[in-house]
Amino acid sequence: MLKVSVKWQKEVFPDVEIDTSLPPYVFKCQLFDLTGVPPERQKIMVKGGLLKDDADWKTVGIKQGQKLMMMGTADEIVKAPEKGPVFVEDLPEEEQAVAVGHSAGLFNLGNTCYMNSTVQCLHSVPELKSALLQYRPSGRRNDLDQTSHMLTVATRDLFSELDKTAKPVAPMQFWMSLRKKYPQFGQLHNGVFMQQDAEECWTQLLYTLSLSLRSPGANDNLDTIKALFGIELVSRMHCQESGEESSEAESVYSLKCHISQEVNHLHEGLKHGLKSELEKASPPLGRSAIYIKESRINGLPRYLTIQFVRFFWKRESNQKAKILRKVDYPLELDVYDFCSSDLQKKLEAPRQFLRDEEGKKLGLKVAEKNAAAPKDDDEKMADAEGSSNTNGESSVASSQDGNSCQSEDTQLTGVYDLVAVLTHKGRSADSGHYVAWVKQEDGKWIEYDDDNPIPQREEDIVKLSGGGDWHMAYICMYKARVVRM
Amino acid sequence: MAPAPNSSGGNAPREEASLKVPVKDPKKKDEKKDEDLSEEDLALKQQLELYVERVQDPDPGLQKAALESMRHEIRTSTSSMTSVPKPLKFLRPHYGTLKAYYETMAESDLKRYLADILSVLALTMSAEGERESLKYRLLGSEGDIGSWGHEYVRNLAGEIAQEYSKRQSEEAPIDDLMELVQQIVAFHMKHNAEPEAVDLLMEVEDLDMLMEHVDSTNFKRTCLYLTSAARYLPGPDDVSVLDIAYMIYRKFEEYANALQIALFLDNMQYVKQVFTSCDDLLRKKQFCYILARHGITFELNEGMVSDDGDREALQEIINNSKLSEGYLTLARDIEVMEPKSPEDIYKAHLLDGRASASASVDSARQNLAATFVNAFVNAGFGQDKLMTVQSDSSSSGGSSANWLFKNKEHGKASAAASLGMILLWDVDSGLAQLDKYFHGTDMQVLAGALLGVGIVNCNIKNECDPALALLGDYVDREDASVRIGAIMGLGLAYAGAQNNEVRAKLSPILDGKASLDVVAFTAISLGLIYVGSCNEEVANSIIFALMDRSESELGEPLARLLPLGLGLLYLGKQDAVEATAEVSKTFNEKIRKHCDMTLLSCAYAGTGNVLKVQNLLGHCAQHLDKGETHQGPAVLGIAMVAMAEELGLEMAIRSLEHLLQYGEQNIRRAVPLALGLLCISNPKVNVMDTLSRLSHDTDSEVAMAAVISLGLIGGGTNNARIAGMLRNLSSYYYKDASLLFCVRIAQGLVHLGKGLLTLNPYHSERFLLSPTALAGIVTMLYACLDMKAIILQKYHYVLYFLVLAMQPRMLMTVDENLRPLSVPVRVGQAVDVVGQAGRPKTITGFQTHSTPVLLAAGDRAELATEKYIPLSPILEGFVILKENPEYTEDR
Repeated sequence: MLKVSVKWQKEVFPDVEIDTSLPPYVFKCQLFDLTGVPPERQKIMVKGGLLKDDADWKTVGIKQGQKLMMMGTADEIVKAPEKGPVFVEDLPEEEQAVAVGHSAGLFNLGNTCYMNSTVQCLHSVPELKSALLQYRPSGRRNDLDQTSHMLTVATRDLFSELDKTAKPVAPMQFWMSLRKKYPQFGQLHNGVFMQQDAEECWTQLLYTLSLSLRSPGANDNLDTIKALFGIELVSRMHCQESGEESSEAESVYSLKCHISQEVNHLHEGLKHGLKSELEKASPPLGRSAIYIKESRINGLPRYLTIQFVRFFWKRESNQKAKILRKVDYPLELDVYDFCSSDLQKKLEAPRQFLRDEEGKKLGLKVAEKNAAAPKDDDEKMADAEGSSNTNGESSVASSQDGNSCQSEDTQLTGVYDLVAVLTHKGRSADSGHYVAWVKQEDGKWIEYDDDNPIPQREEDIVKLSGGGDWHMAYICMYKARVVRM
Repeated sequence: MAPAPNSSGGNAPREEASLKVPVKDPKKKDEKKDEDLSEEDLALKQQLELYVERVQDPDPGLQKAALESMRHEIRTSTSSMTSVPKPLKFLRPHYGTLKAYYETMAESDLKRYLADILSVLALTMSAEGERESLKYRLLGSEGDIGSWGHEYVRNLAGEIAQEYSKRQSEEAPIDDLMELVQQIVAFHMKHNAEPEAVDLLMEVEDLDMLMEHVDSTNFKRTCLYLTSAARYLPGPDDVSVLDIAYMIYRKFEEYANALQIALFLDNMQYVKQVFTSCDDLLRKKQFCYILARHGITFELNEGMVSDDGDREALQEIINNSKLSEGYLTLARDIEVMEPKSPEDIYKAHLLDGRASASASVDSARQNLAATFVNAFVNAGFGQDKLMTVQSDSSSSGGSSANWLFKNKEHGKASAAASLGMILLWDVDSGLAQLDKYFHGTDMQVLAGALLGVGIVNCNIKNECDPALALLGDYVDREDASVRIGAIMGLGLAYAGAQNNEVRAKLSPILDGKASLDVVAFTAISLGLIYVGSCNEEVANSIIFALMDRSESELGEPLARLLPLGLGLLYLGKQDAVEATAEVSKTFNEKIRKHCDMTLLSCAYAGTGNVLKVQNLLGHCAQHLDKGETHQGPAVLGIAMVAMAEELGLEMAIRSLEHLLQYGEQNIRRAVPLALGLLCISNPKVNVMDTLSRLSHDTDSEVAMAAVISLGLIGGGTNNARIAGMLRNLSSYYYKDASLLFCVRIAQGLVHLGKGLLTLNPYHSERFLLSPTALAGIVTMLYACLDMKAIILQKYHYVLYFLVLAMQPRMLMTVDENLRPLSVPVRVGQAVDVVGQAGRPKTITGFQTHSTPVLLAAGDRAELATEKYIPLSPILEGFVILKENPEYTEDR
């Protein structure tokens, strides 16, 4: 009989007796009683290794009072989960794009950054994507020419390709179709394609899509592009001399921000752009006279496009020169001031609702209000409901060309959030570099510099307002903030 | 203007005149000078002239009187030598006369008397290199040397040094000189001029004489000077100087200091002497703490500590078994016990927008990085947020296993091993928690568990030898990764132990037909276990293993670890490497030069040998056309050699900057690593800037090395600037998985042990170099020389070699029962006080804290209370405090 002390984790069991005539397994069973560790899980350190179940105590050489150390737990044995995790590294390429969190870049095919940045900006409009996906090549209508059809198909394919991969895409097909449809983009200079104006590309592309994406329904006016981007304007023409007045309505795809000496902010530029003077024949006077045209927005789009009129034709240098003036633009744009009084009235209720929502979000005085006059609140709610109903009706009635993609209960508020900026760097429209800065669904900004997407911070986005040789905003795209009522 | 040539009138003419005077008539100037003398001086001058005349008088009585008076005049004025004393000045013209007269004199007391005076006069008048002062001193009356003033003695010492070397070359007798030396040393030692005494004795190569002259008032300053001077001496002089210092400390029973020197010399005999000659148990405990910090294996025997119980207690301290406890006490005191997750370290919220989008899918590479970061940050705390969550409840397997299996293939090995890192030094709970990984079927998990056992036991010894018992059986398994896990685990657990049993397990692997990676890790492990031992048998096995490799195998990056294993055996052993270096010349040319450089840099690591640095720089200056790899080790070698002392370190940093500009790509890749080694855990701003610049280098391997090095220089400092740099790098490289991995590792290193640990292999006020710590760092750096093939491949666990260098950067004061004792201490920047007069302050810009307290690089602590006496002269690590019997409470 020997007595040893056994150390197990932080515990010490003194005076454990070993019967050297019995195999060590018996000793392990003794320890099992003390520690609860099953013998097969016990590791007992003795000189030169672990104590084996069938070892001979004599060869092990245990001495009276020796300290032994035991390792082992009764814990569960770690098992690999049945379904191992999936790693990005193992994913096929398409799914890696999802993991990266943003879509791919586009290779520059030789001065095609204007096209790449346009595509990236428009690609960020999910409604446009889904509309394109519904476009069936077979469903081509007779009034659509072949080239427009080709361009639409190419756009659709390019958009879906961008979503599939994390690696940059070469937009060959799209580039060919675009040149076929609009030969001016195929201009060569010294054997290479020339840099083009991105705004032109943007406008032309939207125009083509608006032709091809018309719903095949009876109403020819049911136009997806128009529903998404179209801005209804009412203009009042006023002739100072004759005092005659006329008004007309028109639909445009973008608002212009005119830049002059006084313009420091987008708001001022827009105001400027909505007011113009023109000379036309005046019937009462019998000669041409100066008319003042003042426009108001009468119908708001889901996506508001604003073009900074930075380029003007400079005769002496024979190129489109650029105005470098700094014009600030906000991340959140409110166009209420530019709306016609009709539209303003319609916007009133959703705006109020939006304000309340935001107030609630900030935790402002909701409780207080409730405590003060619950009844009043109810009334207001009722009011809001009522007005929303009427509004809903009126909006259907006035039918912003049928808000096909807009569900009945969401309302525009006239408040817009910046979602994409197309910038230009350089001194003239036909030179320099175009880059798209696009807000992702998760709220992060990505700068798409051709094939290289770079994450950016939101505060850097508003720094693209010009005033130097850095990238400056040329086209801004705002997304409408809607309320669900 | 005025026609008068001289005198009268305005300024201009007089200036003109005075300008002309020396040209016209030099004598006139002297006269004029005489005229300028004050009456007093004039009297003195005449007096002296009179003495000179009288000395030449035939009457011995008069002669004697004259000499006596002259001597009196001189003595009263030579105490200071800020300017030439007047008597000497006035006697200057008569030096020649007196010398001539001396030659004519007959042998007599008077003649010797005159010799004394001539000796003093020669101080200012003798021509350069004539050593007349010494000559006449030897001819003189040999009276009290100090009576002529300090400057005279100093001058004499200088002349003795010259004379000595001359006589040495002529093999002339030096007895008369030594007698004089004896006097001078005695004088210096009595007059607070210990450095001068030591300098003189070093010149005449007779330091032993110092022993007779040191006393309790001056031995401290003497030894301080000796130990500091030793750094700049060529071998073997440095050893003899330190021997003397050791002897002096022992003579005055400053055993802790003696022990430091014994450890510096790596002289175990001396260490034993310290134990045998000291009979205070408490002080012996302090010695054990010092030994434990140095990380050497040391067995106490009965001769050193007679009582069995005491011996056991002391051995326990040497074995570091209480390290974990002390570290956790520190952590609780600083309130950093709360586990940190990798996200807390990345601080991605400070990089909004730029950070990679929240990935919905796990990235194996990033999870692996998180595993390492988690391990480094929570090292030794015993708890974390990934591996040890709810270790007791039944769901434990669940959550911990979850993270384990979020690592892919070989990543699981590092993940399982990271549990060992989290439970670092806590052998009991570490083994218990690792146990669950031993029973699974996954080979990678098993490999990681084995490695984890090694990590837990790193720097800890246990009488039951659990590491050997557990790992021993696995080194011969089939699966290569299990083998490597066990082998590396043994290397970490027994680093520096020179354990024969472990060698018996490992050596056969080198001879066998194991795959290259197994052989490479075996060589490293053996190198670690026998670090700095010059063990021939181990060296031979590694050499044979190297010779057995085929040429293609030798081209592999992993093959380069074999020479390193060999080099570690000779770490810091200088000349001892030569025989092996000769053998290495016969190796295959693919590895020959690489091996050569590795051996050279390891052998001279931590010596500060300037010649070797130059040699290594020479190798870096060559432009290679073939794909040779030896320049990487050469660059690392510069750092390894030069890291010994501050001056050499600064010079090395500058040389490395040059290499960056002119070196080829393989050199540029090694430079950041060398910088990382030089400033490990010591973030110098200039190096930080260089590395920050390199971290954006166009060559991705340079950038990776720079990023890792940023982690190394910030190792365990929580340095905010480096942390910020790395955060920005993480967004800069968010798309480059490899670089991002490096950035993460570096982030983990900067927050090593939440800032409580250091990687610096130097400790005890940068005096001692822990060989195992250096070996661990160097191994990791060698692996970083080819990042893409090793760390970014499946051998990422080489990062765990750093565990050898991880030590708490704390000052923990304990009472006589070794329980933590909180006392106020001043912590400030250390000041070099070597050779300074008086009692200068040793720290500057200090703050008062109460212990336990963290010490940054270059910090020094001193007790802010008289109530206790520390038993260690250097307040670092564990320090035992004894109550001061003479202390009385104020008021």
